[in-house]
Amino acid sequence: MALLFRKKRSRELVFIWALLLPALAVYLFYRVIPLVWNVVLSFSFWSPGKPAKFAGLYHYEEMLFYDDAFWVALKNTAVFMLGTPIAIVLAMALALLVDQNIRGRSLYRTLIFLPYPMMIVAVGIVWRWLYNDSVGLINYVLRSLGIIDQPIPFLESYDFAMASVMVAAIWQIVGFFMIIILTGLQNIPAHLYEAAVIDGARAHHRFWRITLPLLRPSIFLCVILGVIASFTSFDLIYTMTGGGPGLATELLITYIYKSSFTLSKFDYAAAVTVVMFLLFLALALIANRLAGGDAGKVDIAD
Amino acid sequence: MSRFHRIVTHGILIIVCILMLTPIYWVLKTSVTGDNLFVYPPSIIPDDPNLFFYVEAWYTVDFVRLFFNSFAIATLVVIANLFLNAMAGYALTKQFPAKGLVLTFLLMSMMIPFHATIIPAYLLTADLGLLNSKLGIALPTLSHIVCILLFKSNFEAVPNSLIQAARIDGLSEWRILTRIMMPLSKPAVATNIILSFIWSWNDFLWPLIVVRSQEQQTLPLGLVSFLASFEDTTGSLYAFCVLVVVPSMLVFLLAQKDFIRGLTSGATKG
Repeated sequence: MALLFRKKRSRELVFIWALLLPALAVYLFYRVIPLVWNVVLSFSFWSPGKPAKFAGLYHYEEMLFYDDAFWVALKNTAVFMLGTPIAIVLAMALALLVDQNIRGRSLYRTLIFLPYPMMIVAVGIVWRWLYNDSVGLINYVLRSLGIIDQPIPFLESYDFAMASVMVAAIWQIVGFFMIIILTGLQNIPAHLYEAAVIDGARAHHRFWRITLPLLRPSIFLCVILGVIASFTSFDLIYTMTGGGPGLATELLITYIYKSSFTLSKFDYAAAVTVVMFLLFLALALIANRLAGGDAGKVDIAD
Repeated sequence: MSRFHRIVTHGILIIVCILMLTPIYWVLKTSVTGDNLFVYPPSIIPDDPNLFFYVEAWYTVDFVRLFFNSFAIATLVVIANLFLNAMAGYALTKQFPAKGLVLTFLLMSMMIPFHATIIPAYLLTADLGLLNSKLGIALPTLSHIVCILLFKSNFEAVPNSLIQAARIDGLSEWRILTRIMMPLSKPAVATNIILSFIWSWNDFLWPLIVVRSQEQQTLPLGLVSFLASFEDTTGSLYAFCVLVVVPSMLVFLLAQKDFIRGLTSGATKG
């Protein structure tokens, strides 16, 4: 009897592992192994078709002390990240507006969210043309309103290129942030507000004392998503500016792409990737700590 | 809410919606008139709209082939995701040694953005001989951890008595998964299909790295090479943009609720 039970149990275990293995294999081969390989590569001299040689910290020294482009890309990535708080404040305002009991609120939500599922490559191409100095809509509107008298080549200008790309990025993501914050808003129990009203709390008190603290997990989820976006916004940069003018909009991810797949400096690009990953991990952990350990814990409200 | 308050709310929201929709409207308008370069000042309402630029885009690029490539890869990704994620999600509802280890492994993998692994991922795919193939493009996205966790929580909500009854009736574990669990978890199935389709459809960096020949190009790659060879002032470029964006927008509009549920419950996408 015991033997029979054990046999049945081991058959069940085989079944469980058979169900798990295909998915685990995908992550093993396309997340974990590449991550380790990438670290090894960053400590080696290697180019396609040649045997690898140990390089120690050579690439890291090169990157930190001799490569200005790396520092520019790092600075630009940080600047790009500053778009996140702006997007969150906008999204918060919109979420509070569409959370009210007004007619057509689901239509407003849909329209504001509409840009998010669009292919980023197409978004980049369209915004690049909106910014164009001779045929772009934005220059036309600004000139018609008398705000400027000479057209501005936004994406070819060192002053405006980064801000212009950030506007496009915010345009696409703000609706998504709005939905996240809205989900958080709808999970706040109504009786808290009722109690506050009875106690005579004013609207702005209710916002600062109830709404904002309880929205913390949702807001930090947006922060983490914003951090991820600034490390992965390859498509938008590639189609809008290609990292230019000069290095004005070069991000770490576009720099990694160019170093490896255009210049074939795979080993050096691997070192840059390691730095990018460590930065991402540090920022994500900080954001998670600030959220009280549960960033992203947004319950599903149907 | 006072009348004044109501009017101000609508006013702000209408202005925001106009700002959000202007780029979309402008693309649609230009795709049916093509007049952005030649007419100054530009007209707001399209006069004489026609489909000329759609026809032109259709024939200047091999649209059918690009569409077929994108669609074939997306189909492969969607089906693989459905099976792999549901299977793993079902396994995780059971008790077994090393379950904690598997969950930790998954949560850790979730913290690795694919972008931080592109160089070895490329070298690995080259070693497998899968560069420039549809399978090579699809491989890294055959499973999404977010969807595994979604399946797991949906399956856990299925009443245990139902599963026991099925077992007593002699249903095999595999059948319990496909005949009982999946049909009872339609929201998870829908979310899984929608998310994996849209992510695959819009993917750009990985195909850019892996694809070597025109025959294997997907829609975003075709769009970028179209831009490179025709410059950004022709109506057909914007007609092309519209054609590329329409499928994922349709999927979104048809299944808005599931899409948003999936995104907000799934948290981080790696």
